[in-house]
Amino acid sequence: MSSILKARSALAIVRCDVIMRQRRVLLCHGELSGSPRLQMRPLHFGYTSNAFHSSAVASHGSITRPEPGTGIKLHFKDSKGSPLKTVEVNEGDDILSIAHEHDIDLEGACEGSVACSTCHVILSPEHYDLLPEPEDDENDMLDMAFGLTDTSRLGCQVKITRELDEMSVTLPSATRNMFVDGKKPTHH
Amino acid sequence: MAPIKLAIIGSGPSAFYVASRLLSLLPSTSPQASRLKIHMYDRLWAPHGLVRYGVAPDHPEVKNCTHKFDSAAEDPRLRFFGNINIGTPSVIPHTLPLSLSTLMSHYTHLLFSTGCTVPILHSALPPSTYCVPALSLVHWYTQHPSSPPPPPLERLSHITLIGQGNVSLDIARMLLTPSSELAKYDVPAPVLAVLERSAIQHVSIVGRRGPRQAAFTTKELREMMNLSDASLVPLDPALLKAPADGAESLTRQQSRVLQLLQKGSRNKPGTTRKTWSLDFFRSPTGLILPDPSLSQQATLTLAHTTLDSSSRAVSTGETSTLSTSLVVTSLGHRADPSAAWYDPALGHLRTVGGRVIDAAGRTMRNVYASGWAATGARGVLASTMMDAYAVADVILRDAFPGEDIQTVPVVGVDSIDEKALAEDVLPKEVDVDSIPPEVEAGLRDGRVTDYEGWRAINAEEVRRGEAMGKERERMGWQEVEAFLQSRDNSLTLSYWEYAAGLFDLIK
Repeated sequence: MSSILKARSALAIVRCDVIMRQRRVLLCHGELSGSPRLQMRPLHFGYTSNAFHSSAVASHGSITRPEPGTGIKLHFKDSKGSPLKTVEVNEGDDILSIAHEHDIDLEGACEGSVACSTCHVILSPEHYDLLPEPEDDENDMLDMAFGLTDTSRLGCQVKITRELDEMSVTLPSATRNMFVDGKKPTHH
Repeated sequence: MAPIKLAIIGSGPSAFYVASRLLSLLPSTSPQASRLKIHMYDRLWAPHGLVRYGVAPDHPEVKNCTHKFDSAAEDPRLRFFGNINIGTPSVIPHTLPLSLSTLMSHYTHLLFSTGCTVPILHSALPPSTYCVPALSLVHWYTQHPSSPPPPPLERLSHITLIGQGNVSLDIARMLLTPSSELAKYDVPAPVLAVLERSAIQHVSIVGRRGPRQAAFTTKELREMMNLSDASLVPLDPALLKAPADGAESLTRQQSRVLQLLQKGSRNKPGTTRKTWSLDFFRSPTGLILPDPSLSQQATLTLAHTTLDSSSRAVSTGETSTLSTSLVVTSLGHRADPSAAWYDPALGHLRTVGGRVIDAAGRTMRNVYASGWAATGARGVLASTMMDAYAVADVILRDAFPGEDIQTVPVVGVDSIDEKALAEDVLPKEVDVDSIPPEVEAGLRDGRVTDYEGWRAINAEEVRRGEAMGKERERMGWQEVEAFLQSRDNSLTLSYWEYAAGLFDLIK
């Protein structure tokens, strides 16, 4: 009897060990938060320790940073035009991924699939002119962007090339009428 | 620092954008972090609101926003409780009721992200078998827990949509796209079965004003133009003329809409089995129901309109009729009128700068509203996000009066005038981790869902979908309850076997 029990419990331990290990692996990727009964606490992304730090979506960085001095320079600016950060990037990177890599507060709700306008940016005119025209789907999304200008693009659709060196990328301003009811005809 | 123990009613994009913003502005490594707790409540058992129950199934990219919501929910300071109906009468039979006053007694801060859930009806078109609100169709094809019955598409040849916004176009597109093309998307199997049997030949989309006033956006119009098996009935060219010099200039959106309409649909009329039309400058005046023994078609009576000097629709005196199998009104939504601080004149909650205001104009301390609950049913995901971030700023500004919190450049929101405050409805001190005992009990007996349970359900829906070659296959509440119960049982079993095994080793 005891040998059967030992075998059964050994099996149970092995199986549970696998389950525990699986759960631990899943926890590292932040997928499971643990059932109330087992009271496991999840791991989560680290943040910087500034008191009020507005951080972009924590990403695992799908792009790499070039060796300092070798990359293409982009100047990110806030909605008032004040400098935020100058970064160096590789050819082929898109502005949304670049912003996330460098903790710039640019959202990408649809994650680059041209289904929203949250990554709307305003480019320096001389560089805007060098870019190929937006496709219909990008233009459709830009129609709905806040603070649209003649040099607006969706950040996720702009791929950096060498000739865009020293381009300014300005974050658009939110509408001043954010809290005013009913004045601005928008769509849903 | 006084705690911010925030209850958010609603778990759609607005709720999650406010929550994720607060969590990232008070990161878990900061000294104030542990004083922030966010508990999110939803009357539906699944989170994410309209992203799950409003976005059309053939627009899956929009739903990528839920990845950010999943990240936010990994923060242990955020908890989600689903299937709990707070305050207002429930439209879903299986929800756990919880009074607003009970909820409020456990929290220092309250945010309404409750959206606009009640369809605006047309005074000339009362609901009947022949006239339904668009919401009932959207709830049908997303299998919303209120479980509206399917439209009898196998008996309908002609559908008339009243209203020319994106919801109308979504429904038209769902009805005119071959079901074989929809099969790979998140269209539940029972819905697909009804669509497969559909006898719809024509969809009329009626609006009381013209192309320049239509509320739909270019993307959705372009999708209609590109339908594979339907064509647009050509529009009267007079409707599509550009405005005369000196008249008000067109916005970029308006110009592009006109261009699309001028170009017409990809398939020319006469080449497709199905057709659709945009019936501009028509306003319904009534719906004559048929004698079912004689006909299946109702008769919609329409007044012809034109624009007055303020661009409002006014009747010309001309009328016409339209024979149709079903009228669907798609005229926007308002918040639930029985909701606390609802203003009937606005159709949503009364707020100033995100702060809830009572009927006498006094600010409710620590009570906020975001998204459509605060602004009315207008705006796409981007505007919802911007509004949510602004409300998060206001919440923190009110909590930390000394700090200058300006992460969203918005003007016009002052600090609270202490003299203009109503009596407090929320306590100043609470146990930061407690939840109402009803919720505690609901979690134990499986009536209340949490985010961890949602992740498992989500994975299971995707798994079932993969087996069928589609994005996901949705589960209903009974299936969800059973699934979570059996999952709990097997976890408990493993736990007990593990414990038994340890015990065995020790002895």
